[in-house]
Amino acid sequence: MNPMVRKELNLRMRERRGWVLPSLYLLTLGAVSALAYYISTDRGSYSELQGADIGVPMFLCVAYAQLSLLLLLAPIFSAGSLTIEKEQKTLAGLLTSLLTPFQIWWGKFAASLLFVMLLIVSGLPVLSIAFAFGGVGLWEVAMATVSTVVVLAAVSAIGLYWSSVFRRTVHATSVTYATVIAMTIVTFVVFIIAMSVHRGPGWDNISFGMKSPLYFNPIFFLTMGFASPRHLYPEWLRCLGVFGLLTLLAIGLTLWNLRKSGETA
Amino acid sequence: MIEVDQLVKTYNGTPALHGFHLSVAQGELFGLVGPNGAGKTTLIKILATLLEPSAGTVRIAGMEVGHNRAAVKQIVGYMPDQPGLYQDMRLREFLQFFADAFHVNRERQKAAIDRALERAELQDRQDAYVEELSFGLKQRLLLAKTLLHGPKLLLLDEPATGLDPIARLDLRRQLKELNANGVTILISSHILADLEDICTRVALISAGENAAGADGHEVIELAQPVSARVYEVEVAGPTDAAKAAAQSIPGINVISAEGSLLVIELRGGKAEAAALLRRLVNSGAEIVRFDYRSASLEERYQKAFGRPNA
Repeated sequence: MNPMVRKELNLRMRERRGWVLPSLYLLTLGAVSALAYYISTDRGSYSELQGADIGVPMFLCVAYAQLSLLLLLAPIFSAGSLTIEKEQKTLAGLLTSLLTPFQIWWGKFAASLLFVMLLIVSGLPVLSIAFAFGGVGLWEVAMATVSTVVVLAAVSAIGLYWSSVFRRTVHATSVTYATVIAMTIVTFVVFIIAMSVHRGPGWDNISFGMKSPLYFNPIFFLTMGFASPRHLYPEWLRCLGVFGLLTLLAIGLTLWNLRKSGETA
Repeated sequence: MIEVDQLVKTYNGTPALHGFHLSVAQGELFGLVGPNGAGKTTLIKILATLLEPSAGTVRIAGMEVGHNRAAVKQIVGYMPDQPGLYQDMRLREFLQFFADAFHVNRERQKAAIDRALERAELQDRQDAYVEELSFGLKQRLLLAKTLLHGPKLLLLDEPATGLDPIARLDLRRQLKELNANGVTILISSHILADLEDICTRVALISAGENAAGADGHEVIELAQPVSARVYEVEVAGPTDAAKAAAQSIPGINVISAEGSLLVIELRGGKAEAAALLRRLVNSGAEIVRFDYRSASLEERYQKAFGRPNA
């Protein structure tokens, strides 16, 4: 096992946030689930409601809440990964050891993503409450999970990139949050502005250029994952490609920075 | 072991090293001194593979550092000027991590870690957290970590800074032991007395270039006898008679005669010193003290750089 992965996981689970964050995360998801149930059942007579009328909105609320919460948490784990080594002057020790820049990066990335995965896995029972009501199957849960993991892998890689650029954790975390905001809100606003110019009806009539900002949008990616299997192309697969490329680009740039980081070590 | 030639390193166009050259033989305990900002840390970082030179050649054990990073890292142990430790790790855990990071053989790991703890005299505290250690113990742990993979060359950047006198003595003892066991050591320090005690040679560096001492040499030989020795002679009463007697001997230079203290530079060895003492006694001066005093590294440093070490 890569010693970096072992070290990172050991140290992370030793921190107070190692158990505080999962607890808060699950409490929030539970609250969202309860709220969704309350709103779904508050619309009319309980006897008129189908199970799917409760299950589907509850599932969607929890899935979007989960992605939003993890988009808020992922920068905390990734953006400080390399800056903390610079701040506590331990980066020189890593760079002069026989660990390669990729091993250092992989240790940091795997630890960040595994912590996020821990949250996702611990949230699966909450997400699966919807099964009890119906209207939601394994496919939807699997697609929500896969889309969320891909988005968070990209955000973690981007956080690590900013962590390799800056010397201070506060700067790297701020810029990572700015990037997340740009991906989730700015892309949506740009799309809305573009749509206000475009007057043709129907999603299929919107040009690729106009839709392209949305391919960077994590919420859009998750939404497209709820399509039936034969409708995953083009939108979901395009999002997958964009997030995959973002991840690869961030990895390449981080490795480049790590090789040149002797001055800040 | 180390060959540096015409080394240039610039940061955004500002030169940190400019045509620096250095040669350290295998088995040497070599010192590097110079004012703050002279380029000592930059040089050591280049040798430790952390920085790439802008120009010039840097070889360690015959290997070009820039092209053989992994091989160079195998034989080099680097201790930075600002010690970096994982405060929330236990001591054994910390050493285990670096044993893995340096690919220390699994079968040898336990023995290597035990030896490192023993060397740092921290066997009893192996389950303590690093943050619980004093600064001196942290430095010991860092040196032990640096030695885990059995480096042949140690690069130490200001290792004694912040240590109390006992810890400094302990560090000197450890470095002498390592050197006696065949480890080549390049050490930069502002504590010149330490370098004088342990180093065989010391190079002077200023503004990124080799600097020459008062005698015109860029490297000060500390282990070899010098041809001119300085003696302090304290007499009871005025120094006039003693001074006249000393000046009558060829090859003697009276440096100063203030109060009852006479400072004399003598070319030669023990026989010449004995002759000087005899002449002083015969002159009728009452000799209270007759001491050999070498020109200290600090004095040579001051002569080279014109002011006390910052």
